Amino acid sequence: MTAPQLQAVRAEFDAELAAAGRDPARVEEVRIRFAGRRSGVLRELEERLKGLPREEKPAYGKALNELKQYISERLEQARRGVGPAREEIFLDVTLPGRAPRLGSVHPVTLVRREIEEIFLRMGYSVADGPEVEDDWHNFEALNIPPFHPARDTQDTFYLPGGLLLRTHTSPVQIRAMETMELPLRLIIPGRVYRRDSDLRHSPMFHQVEGLVVGEGITFAHLRATLEAFVHVLFDPALKVRLRPSFFPFTEPSAEVDITCILCRGQGCAMCSGSGWIEILGAGMVDPRVLRACRIDPQRYSGFAFGCGLDRVALLKYGLPDLRLLFSGDERFLRQFGSEGAL
Amino acid sequence: MRFLLSWLREHLSECRLEAAELAARLTAVGFNVELREPADGEGKPGDEVWEVDVTTNRPDAMNHRGLAREAAAVGAGELRPLDLSVTEEGTAAGELARVRVEDGEGCPRYCARVVRGVRVGPSPAWLAARLSACGVRPINNVVDATNYVLLDLGQPLHAFDLDLLEGREVRVRAARPGETLRTLDGVERVLEAGDVVIADARRPVALAGIMGGAETEITASTRDVLLESATFHPLRVRRTAHRLGLKTEASHRFERGADRAMARTAVDACAALISRIAGGEVAPGMLDSAPQPPAPAVIAFSLQRLNAFAGCQVPPEFVIPLLTRLELAPRRDGDLVSCTVPTFRTDLELPEDLYEEVLRHWGYERVPAVLPAADRGPGRRLGSWPLVERARRALAAVGVAEAITYSFTDPGLEAATASSPLAGRGDPVPLLNPLSARSSVLRRSLLAGLVEAAAGNLRRGAGAVLLGEVGRAFFGTPGGVREEERAAVVLAGEVGSWDGRRNADFLDLKGLVEGFLSGLGLPPARWRPGSCALLESGQGAEVMLGGRVIAVAGRLAEAIGERLDIAQPLWVAEVDLAAVAGEGTATFRPLPRFPAVVADLTVRHRVDLTYDQLVGALMAAAPEWLEGVAPVVQYRGEGVAAGEVKTTLRLTYRHGERSLSQEEVNAAHFAAMERLAAELGVRFD
Repeated sequence: MTAPQLQAVRAEFDAELAAAGRDPARVEEVRIRFAGRRSGVLRELEERLKGLPREEKPAYGKALNELKQYISERLEQARRGVGPAREEIFLDVTLPGRAPRLGSVHPVTLVRREIEEIFLRMGYSVADGPEVEDDWHNFEALNIPPFHPARDTQDTFYLPGGLLLRTHTSPVQIRAMETMELPLRLIIPGRVYRRDSDLRHSPMFHQVEGLVVGEGITFAHLRATLEAFVHVLFDPALKVRLRPSFFPFTEPSAEVDITCILCRGQGCAMCSGSGWIEILGAGMVDPRVLRACRIDPQRYSGFAFGCGLDRVALLKYGLPDLRLLFSGDERFLRQFGSEGAL
Repeated sequence: MRFLLSWLREHLSECRLEAAELAARLTAVGFNVELREPADGEGKPGDEVWEVDVTTNRPDAMNHRGLAREAAAVGAGELRPLDLSVTEEGTAAGELARVRVEDGEGCPRYCARVVRGVRVGPSPAWLAARLSACGVRPINNVVDATNYVLLDLGQPLHAFDLDLLEGREVRVRAARPGETLRTLDGVERVLEAGDVVIADARRPVALAGIMGGAETEITASTRDVLLESATFHPLRVRRTAHRLGLKTEASHRFERGADRAMARTAVDACAALISRIAGGEVAPGMLDSAPQPPAPAVIAFSLQRLNAFAGCQVPPEFVIPLLTRLELAPRRDGDLVSCTVPTFRTDLELPEDLYEEVLRHWGYERVPAVLPAADRGPGRRLGSWPLVERARRALAAVGVAEAITYSFTDPGLEAATASSPLAGRGDPVPLLNPLSARSSVLRRSLLAGLVEAAAGNLRRGAGAVLLGEVGRAFFGTPGGVREEERAAVVLAGEVGSWDGRRNADFLDLKGLVEGFLSGLGLPPARWRPGSCALLESGQGAEVMLGGRVIAVAGRLAEAIGERLDIAQPLWVAEVDLAAVAGEGTATFRPLPRFPAVVADLTVRHRVDLTYDQLVGALMAAAPEWLEGVAPVVQYRGEGVAAGEVKTTLRLTYRHGERSLSQEEVNAAHFAAMERLAAELGVRFD
């Protein structure tokens, strides 16, 4: 018995194992024939080792051990279904994975959450209220009496029974001031409705408003709050400009502009060459509004601000058209993932 | 409003500011100069036309004089006094015409002058150019003069052909219901009781503060002119203008509040201008219904409170001169400042209004930015926000793309999608003034918008659709409108991955809904067949939790799909979030300490024996340590009799207190099989 003989046994084993393929029963037959404990080929070879001359024993024993190890490894591989068939199952790692369907969150939801987070961190609570409102909460308590010219800019959808679809989220401010304990620090996002439809207007859109009422609330507080908001939401490098304006429910009132995020103030089509884009309206709560909510303006003051969530989404994501937001087009909706920017 | 820069400068004794600087300063105090462009035509070289956004509370600045006053306040120069001289000749106005105000509320003041012997013709070029630059079409010299004074001083005026006024008189009175008047635009207007009209002895000749009448307008043959310069009640002008859909330069200003004092000044200026450009002589005397001005309002404020309100120190040395330039006549007495409100500032009533005057001129950017002290605890989500936000996250977790669809929809689609036990809980709420019939009713089901969106995606060639929404449904009730928070999904097309796709079916939808409900932290719900017009017959289910229907799910009725031109199945579900609001707080259950024994069981049974019935019977038949049952495969076809199905179940046995032996599991398993066979008549493979 010599090493070449062992080579032949190995070749025989390889052939039989290959023929057995991946059939477990046939692999088992091969195992019994070669590695069986009672009458396997390896057992026989071990028996022969005993009869060899002393000087041949070390070399033969070493070769036999190697063969035993080889056979046992190959049998193990065959049982696991790998080994001889390796070249048949080339793994193409460039094939697309079987992706689980991932959900996505609407861009308006993403910017709303981002804004809520900013204010939750500053101690604001997130409030809500009805979308169907009455004239008192939507207009009169906000210092917009019937036939007030300010109603012109808020074309209203009317419902039976003197009800209407809220034209802004401000009625929630009124409800909060009427019912909640002072001091107040609220952020109020939600759907609003105006009877207007073109490239820049949708009859349904979203606003978020903030309201702070307490003792000693000042215009300086409003300014700092707006700056903190804009800097976290967009970019700390942006300038914030407050421009005097008019809203019936605030006095003084301001339009809030930020450096155009596209041209950085150089002037471009988006900012009509001015270098600024209007982003918020704000002001100190008008004492008439406080009084309408039975709050004493001698003791308390407050500020409020509001902006269009859809417009923020347009700016943040560079969307061309407001109506895309409400199109339900899944190619659009699935572009934003489920978490948004951190 | 459009302004001509040279015209603006005319009101200033000297203009110390360059155009760009003046525009920037006006913008900074609240008069946003939105557009500056070179004035073409007859204007001076370098002249500009400005588009300025004058806010609705500042009608006093909707004219060149008013904006010049603000320009003076920002340091552009001194406001030049007005030239109020009128050369009067001939018969006194009082003998030529009469004015009677019968509706004093509607018309607090009516001033008039008579100009005789005018020659009506085109205006001189300079005047026509100024009007055109400001967007007003020149008509003839008399009418142009009234428009010029409007743009110059802000007072709307009207010129009547005096000879055409019956009785040569003017009565300002409430309209008689049903009375008619043909306005200058040629339209016959039917009047109502609240309207204010200018009438002659016989009939209405003008709609007060809105538009003149066609029958008494200035024509080429007009000789004598009655010039009206009045103050009308803002609300009544607005009501009438609104009802008739008539918006004019005049109504725009009257609605916002006109200056009582200016009525008199403007009629003088206009009469002088007419006699200058159209000839004619101004009859001596002014017809004035209310020559005595009411006592002006006084507002007092404390400088200390101003600073407390602003959050910074604005020195009195700034405040007092500013208020003087704004013509508010401040008088300081220590900490207290009293201002006399001029008649043109109809917007000033409260100390806060004066704080605004001070702050906008002081400069908002000079107020320091100081965050309010954190005097409240951490914020939290109130109302339904926690619920709807959890729902949005749970939808995203099962792969849904969140959509936002309109709250209003088409009445037909609304009714169809609302025909389920979930949505049929109130009446549809119509919009009284919808933009179109297709968006004229509030939704009672979120599916109205979602199925339309799904159809849109399929029409665009999408192979798979999975959309969802969280939002409100609206129900008309005797007391008003009830709003309910809902979540809904629509599934269509293929599911699976690129190497294993198939068409979505009911179990895909059910899995989504179950995943969503479990994401909300709810215990497993019970599904039972449910039929309603929303869902295709035999293809729908009601989802029950705590004895209530919390959701409906199934294949959208084909008839509704046809309405949307969609033939392929749309799988839809809607969940009533309010019904599950209180449910679902996850609690810890200890992990199992002993190993499980798993055994498969293949059951042949009739197809109408439901999975719930089969598993229910099995759970009842087995010992309590049968931990759970799950389906492995279901098979019908070859080898299985018609009307039968073969279901393989995997049973997991696990005792909470000890290890189970194979023998006791076997005994229990076979005993359960025997009971099942006896009770349900099923057989085992």
